[in-house]
Amino acid sequence: MTMQRSSDALIAELVAGLEPVKPLRFGAGMAATLAAAALSSAVVVALFGLRPDWLEGRVNPMHLVATGLYLGLALAATVTVLVMSRPQIGSDHSGWRWAAAMAALLPVAGLIVGVNRGHDMLAAESMRHGGECLALGGSASLLVFAMLAAWLRRGAPTAPDRAGLVAGVAAGAFGIFAFSLHCPDNDIVHIGIWHSMVVLAMAGLGRATVPRLIRW
Amino acid sequence: MRADEATLARLMALSQTGDRQAYAALLEACQRWLRGYYSRRIAPASLDDLVQETLIALHNKRASWDSSRPFLPWLAAIARYRWVDHLRRLYRADEHELHEELIGTDDEPAIAARISLDRLLGLLPPGQERAIALVKIEGLSIAEASQATGQSEALVKVNIHRGLKKLAHMIEKE
Repeated sequence: MTMQRSSDALIAELVAGLEPVKPLRFGAGMAATLAAAALSSAVVVALFGLRPDWLEGRVNPMHLVATGLYLGLALAATVTVLVMSRPQIGSDHSGWRWAAAMAALLPVAGLIVGVNRGHDMLAAESMRHGGECLALGGSASLLVFAMLAAWLRRGAPTAPDRAGLVAGVAAGAFGIFAFSLHCPDNDIVHIGIWHSMVVLAMAGLGRATVPRLIRW
Repeated sequence: MRADEATLARLMALSQTGDRQAYAALLEACQRWLRGYYSRRIAPASLDDLVQETLIALHNKRASWDSSRPFLPWLAAIARYRWVDHLRRLYRADEHELHEELIGTDDEPAIAARISLDRLLGLLPPGQERAIALVKIEGLSIAEASQATGQSEALVKVNIHRGLKKLAHMIEKE
């Protein structure tokens, strides 16, 4: 009897506190993420400039393929994050893994080529240049990262730790996509190792920090 | 009122626009639906707490449903999340018996089965499922569960720990 009363009291309280809400729409989440990624890319280009070969009207196939793979990973991971924000039994959260598996070709190929060459992977100059891409690509991830974390906070992810990880992957992949518009290096060793490191680092950051923000 | 998918979805859509009358009817219907959903899957003494926690979660997360999607699979995902969280927090249930009365749900049996807690538990290996059912749901002690299953006490604990971890990652699985 008291239980029933306390449930009734709770319902009355919740009803009294009802405010209209705007439902989380998939399309709105995608549009907001793409806008954040576009803004980040624009800032990279404004601060550091476009790749010199693009300005001269030339393209490099290695660079195009790698940048496209990061963009594909970014989009797939974003879709997964948006799906995770709206719980539903029967939802599939695994789509991003295939994109990640394909993008993983880059670091694997980079390591194989680097070891095969047997030199200069750890040379001071390549480390400095790599560290720069890591730091600036990471910075270019932050806006998308914050956007996705805020979106997940409004939503109801039932696996907060995975959602944090995938949000980090999406943000890192968009960030290195943005910085790839500037980075003139076409070497698979540089791209495979240092550019992928941005995705890994942001995934780690997402896994470590986002769950506590979005747990409910 | 019948707690069927179409009615609940309509009430929820109205609630999102701020319609309090619809919201009161929705919460009342959800409360009854949740009691059926959780019955036999939680110690009776915890049932009211869990139903209320889930209603609060529904309230806080009501923007995460949109009217283009079915309502009950959304509500059940929220209910499973709260249930697993509850089991993880629970050390020892005070009460041992289970509700004898079975509260029926009005939903189509096929949907109800796909989103049920049994379906979720059934995704676990049998040893883990049994350890969780005995200790976390029926409220047996580790020693009693060890006797009932033939698992060592250490294994019962390991199975509970691993099983709950796994459940937390499978909330939205069918």
